[in-house]
Amino acid sequence: MKLGKEDLISLYRKMVRARKMDELTIRGLQEGKVLSFYHSNQGSEALSVGGAAVLKKTDYLWAHHRGHGIGALIGKGLDPKGFIAEHYGKVTGSCKGISGFHMAEPEDGILGAGGTIGYQFPLALGNGLAAKKAGKQQVVLACFGDGGSNRGTLHEAMNLASVWKLPIVWVCDNNGMAQYTPIKDTYPKEDIADLAAGYNMPGIVVDGLDIMAVYEAVYEAVERARKGDGPTLIEAKTARYRSHSEGSPDVSHTQTRSQEEIAELKKRDPVESFKEKLLNQGILTEEMVAAINREAEEEAAAAEKFGVESPPPDPSVIDNLVYR
Amino acid sequence: MKQTIYLAAINEALREELRRDEKVFVIGENVQQGTFGTTSGLVQEFGKDRIMDTSLAETAVAGAAIGAAMSGYRPVADMMFADFLYIAGDEILLKAGKWHFVHAGKVNVPVVVMAAMGGGMKIGAEHSMCPEALAMHSPGLKLAVPSTPYDAKGLLKTAIRDDNPVVFFYNKGLLGLPGEIPEEEYLIPFGKADIKREGSDVTVVAISRMVHLSLEVAEKLKNEISVEVVDPRTLEPLDIDTIIASVQKTGRCVIVDEDNKRCGVTAEIFAQIVENGFDYLDAPIQRVAAADTPIAAGFLEKHVLPQPEDIEKAIRKVME
Repeated sequence: MKLGKEDLISLYRKMVRARKMDELTIRGLQEGKVLSFYHSNQGSEALSVGGAAVLKKTDYLWAHHRGHGIGALIGKGLDPKGFIAEHYGKVTGSCKGISGFHMAEPEDGILGAGGTIGYQFPLALGNGLAAKKAGKQQVVLACFGDGGSNRGTLHEAMNLASVWKLPIVWVCDNNGMAQYTPIKDTYPKEDIADLAAGYNMPGIVVDGLDIMAVYEAVYEAVERARKGDGPTLIEAKTARYRSHSEGSPDVSHTQTRSQEEIAELKKRDPVESFKEKLLNQGILTEEMVAAINREAEEEAAAAEKFGVESPPPDPSVIDNLVYR
Repeated sequence: MKQTIYLAAINEALREELRRDEKVFVIGENVQQGTFGTTSGLVQEFGKDRIMDTSLAETAVAGAAIGAAMSGYRPVADMMFADFLYIAGDEILLKAGKWHFVHAGKVNVPVVVMAAMGGGMKIGAEHSMCPEALAMHSPGLKLAVPSTPYDAKGLLKTAIRDDNPVVFFYNKGLLGLPGEIPEEEYLIPFGKADIKREGSDVTVVAISRMVHLSLEVAEKLKNEISVEVVDPRTLEPLDIDTIIASVQKTGRCVIVDEDNKRCGVTAEIFAQIVENGFDYLDAPIQRVAAADTPIAAGFLEKHVLPQPEDIEKAIRKVME
């Protein structure tokens, strides 16, 4: 898989946009514009953006709770306005302010999002089964966190997906922390990708801070799935800069995570390090970087304005909505 | 009309819908063989891709069906025992039931979650339940509870064609029940109760196998008390209008169901009658339901689940 110059710039632009939208959502929560809560994606953009960017419009995508899928939405090429408006509780949101923070864009292969960790395993199994039955070479990218990997639903779904050779790419965003509990305290091995061996599928560990490495690994797994060769498990080692949920304490068990620890994580920031790489290679210039940043800021400002100016939903939007 | 039995009527509904719509498929544990016979013989006609055996893993069964339903298929997930719905609660209650609503109608989940409920087999606490209240309580799930071969076939066909998730609880105590069904195709709409026996002194609202126990008691008492037996057939939607109309006629009501009494289906129907038809009542409503204990197995089962004597006692009480 060789990425062209334009592809690389596009990936960088998407990461910057995802970071800006994440910052906007955090600020929105602090300012009372975001009505629910937020689980920041910062430190994980290379994975959330890079993985989704591999997919075609007709492919399916299950994001997980980090960033409420913002990286995946932008990675797949969607306009983030509906994301912000949904968080603001407005009728112009992805789900008219009803889900509050769960996105659904079925036309683009995003069938919804749920509030239980690990829920996506069995649903992605069924989605993959449908994709295989339909025979249109669609692929399912099913993302989850290291915490989600502890769910029993993982076993049930990965097991059958492998037996049935379904076109599913399982992607684990391993940032090392499940809410306030380090993954090393709930999983007995170093690599979650080792689980793949039990299901007779490839298990790949990738540097989740390097978007090119992520893109290439996901691309290969997606092509494998598209050809009918079955699922792959990819584990990306990422970082979580902020607390599990905005406003909640940033602790490991009960111990506050130190500033030094966070600073250490940020040394290899996925957005900054990709920028440096592209600058060094002469693919980006400082002027281009400034322009990309400015555009991302403008996009965030426009999304904020759109969200603020949109009306809240009339209560009638939920009338007769329980059933189709 | 032709003679059939309850399980064959279910089988025939599946066969007809599988033939009619290639998006329909059946998925579950041992559905090719068929634990209760309801899915037996289908694999020979439709093949393993449409009659899919799974691992013994209920979240995978329900999740595979629900995920496929969201992707344009119309699966029937056979959960085997109704008790096993609890295992896949996240998939069935929190996802299938809610996702059309929370995603502003952008997602549809046309799945049928089918399972055998009910006692009578003496197989104890985790294979005998009637967890109807679980489904009835959870927004977004329709719930069909057929008591006859005719109702089973007509309601299952309607369930498969419904664009919403439907829980279809058939009763394993009725599998061999004989009955007549039309030669030609028919559907039964949801939310239409059926008066299984007309009467003028007391209304007995009975569900699934309890319909037959209530009919048995009605027959026994026919020279003393005229009993009307109303079978709701679907609990969501619930045809409360037909129930209230019957209560208006008789002035007395007994509600009989095999789920637990506390917070059970009988409690909900009781509340709706009181809310909407209190003035028609000449006596307090009586409820007959499973005891609020786990279901004991073997010889003890009958001490937990409703018996004809309990129904007779309740009828006599409202007639006092």
